[in-house]
Amino acid sequence: MKPVFHILILLPLLLGAGCGDSEAASASRAWVWDLPETVPPPRVPEDNPMSEAKVELGRFLFYDTKLSGNQTQSCGSCHQQAVAFTDRLAQAEGSTGEEHPRSSMSVANAGYAASLTWANPAVVRLEDQALVPMFGTDPVELGLEGMEDELLRRLRDDERYPEMFAEAFPKALDPISLDSITKAIAAFQRALLSFDSRYDRWNEGDETALTASEQRGMALFFGGSTAAGATDALECFHCHGGFLLSQSVDHDGNEFNQQTFFNNGLYNLDEDGSYPEGNEGLFDITNDPADKGKFKPPSLRNIAVTAPYMHDGSIATLEEVVEHYARGGRLLESGDGKENPNKSSFIKGFFINEQEKADLIAFLHALTDNKLLTDPAFSDPFAE
Amino acid sequence: MKRLGTWMALSALALGCGDSSSSSQRAELAFAAMVGAEPFVCGQEYSDLGADGASLVLSDFRFYVQDIELKNDAGEWVPLKLDENEFQNGDVALLDFENKCGDLGTEEMNERVVGTVPAGQYDGLRFKMGVPFERNHANHSTEPSPLNLTQMFWNWQGGYKFLRIDSGQFSTNDWRMHLGSTGCEGDAQAGGVTSCANPNRVEVEWDTFDADTDTVVADYAALVDGANLGDDQAADVGCMAKPTDTDCGPLFQNLGLPFGDQPGGTQSFFSAE
Ligand code: HEC
Ligand code: HEC
Repeated sequence: MKPVFHILILLPLLLGAGCGDSEAASASRAWVWDLPETVPPPRVPEDNPMSEAKVELGRFLFYDTKLSGNQTQSCGSCHQQAVAFTDRLAQAEGSTGEEHPRSSMSVANAGYAASLTWANPAVVRLEDQALVPMFGTDPVELGLEGMEDELLRRLRDDERYPEMFAEAFPKALDPISLDSITKAIAAFQRALLSFDSRYDRWNEGDETALTASEQRGMALFFGGSTAAGATDALECFHCHGGFLLSQSVDHDGNEFNQQTFFNNGLYNLDEDGSYPEGNEGLFDITNDPADKGKFKPPSLRNIAVTAPYMHDGSIATLEEVVEHYARGGRLLESGDGKENPNKSSFIKGFFINEQEKADLIAFLHALTDNKLLTDPAFSDPFAE
Repeated sequence: MKRLGTWMALSALALGCGDSSSSSQRAELAFAAMVGAEPFVCGQEYSDLGADGASLVLSDFRFYVQDIELKNDAGEWVPLKLDENEFQNGDVALLDFENKCGDLGTEEMNERVVGTVPAGQYDGLRFKMGVPFERNHANHSTEPSPLNLTQMFWNWQGGYKFLRIDSGQFSTNDWRMHLGSTGCEGDAQAGGVTSCANPNRVEVEWDTFDADTDTVVADYAALVDGANLGDDQAADVGCMAKPTDTDCGPLFQNLGLPFGDQPGGTQSFFSAE
């Protein structure tokens, strides 16, 4: 196995001489990204440099129920480490019991998202995204709307936080603020990296990392021919390719907006290709009928542990996911997703035999990074 | 209502200190929230609203204004330079008519906008209901008051609610109106929102408006005129300004904003009285 490369970022360089806050300079040690050489570091906003103290503070905040109005929920309630920071539910449930129209997404590698959440081109910074579950009312998630003073009071009265905030934000006069809360949580999520699956070890040159079946599944996933003789029949990598296994990707030094949204044929309620109302993906933002049913292709890393699948959790198993793509869309009483007018031309349907199906699913299982699921650096500090 | 209106701020001149921008004068604009003929009172029930004559208990009534300008006697529009206070910052002011009668809100209320204009005679008013683009999409967590109120955050759309009028106590039979920019796009390189297809800033302009005697009246009954409040249509409760939320059609019309195929026009939510 090749050694994992440590990419050292010199934060003062990144910040540019003399600009902005120089928190980084005073942080005890420069931040080190623990990444394989196949993966670039994530983009770090200039106003929120990484530091160990900040990431550790972010971990506490991520798991702290003080971050919900009624103190019953934290980010970690819907983003649980054991299931790659998802929650096993088809649709998430907020702190007041309100059902979210959508399924919780993995936040592993969220620092690489070109746009955050299932289908929103406007949300591009983790710092901003955190405000949605905290203060949003539509639906209520953490239910903190209007409670910003109460939240700050809770944290100031805590025995641990004043010191942790001061260490993470040494230049701030009043370190416990909404800004520092969202920055620390964002820094924790940028550190929540998951590139240590057997597939990654294969990419780093370890030829024993994948079984023969997984290797065959990988070939099918990345455009190989099926036994039936079709080349690139599955087309998975067109949408789920690259180091993130999502084409909707951003990273440090990336110059282009790589946001993408596709309709993969789950529903087809009428001649416009409608999805269930209020959950129609990009259309809910743009109102363009051609955007009905378009969602971000999520990263498939750790996909074997994040069932159920799709934006509304409406597919229970990977087996059914493969059948969905093989058919080229889902047939429901309400309509045939295969005929959805907005469906991507990459979703054509294909013939796949039982062995190939097993191979593909075996490959998807090889994308699990077991270390992520138990790494103490990412675990719930309140559970200890 | 005691009204100060505009007056000459001659103190600077009298003291002889060097405010070289010649003389300026104070200006104050009075705002009021009404529901038809009745004043808005937080927690009060109002009847005969909308196309279906619905009754609602209203519990929130707040909006931001920007780009306030007065028309001088030469017919030129002159910006009102806002004072800085908890309800005003830079070019933005929050008008707030609720007093936390419900489970949300703040006790403090604000029914006026105060600032200065160059000395002169003014007889017209224009402003927008909204928050300027740069600040609408800046880091909300570092903004000062009044842009730090999380109840006015609208982060899933990447901005603020320009207008918020709620009924009830967040039960399922509420009817809420939240307006802000929609159809926004951003990119990770820019680090935020770069444009919005529907800015949804409401433009108000009156050629005659006397700040000494006139009040800017925002009328909920006029806002919901023609809307079916008893029959909530789209997935959201009331109108969340989503282009897909069919409840919004009449409200957007009354705000003079385009909505889907429906063109924009002249707003009727605000009137000068
Ligand atoms: C009630 C459950 C719930 C809570 C609590 C919650 N989330 Fe989420 N999270 C979700 C759901 C559901 C989505 C998908 C939302 C959508 O598409 O609209 C999501 C999406 C995300 C994403 C986008 C991931 C991606 O790859 O695009 C991030 C990041 C995230 N959440 C972080 C957080 C943080 C930080 C907190 C705490 C401040 C938090 N979440 C609290 C349910 C929750
Ligand atoms: C045209 C682009 C495209 C292609 C090709 C594609 N997908 Fe997807 N995939 C998506 C989108 C978009 C979603 C989310 C759709 C939704 O939730 O409505 C998705 C969702 C998924 C999910 C569920 C993810 C989750 O977190 O719930 C899995 C698993 C998946 N795809 C596997 C595959 C496999 C395997 C292939 C090849 C057979 C494939 N995809 C081909 C775009 C694509």
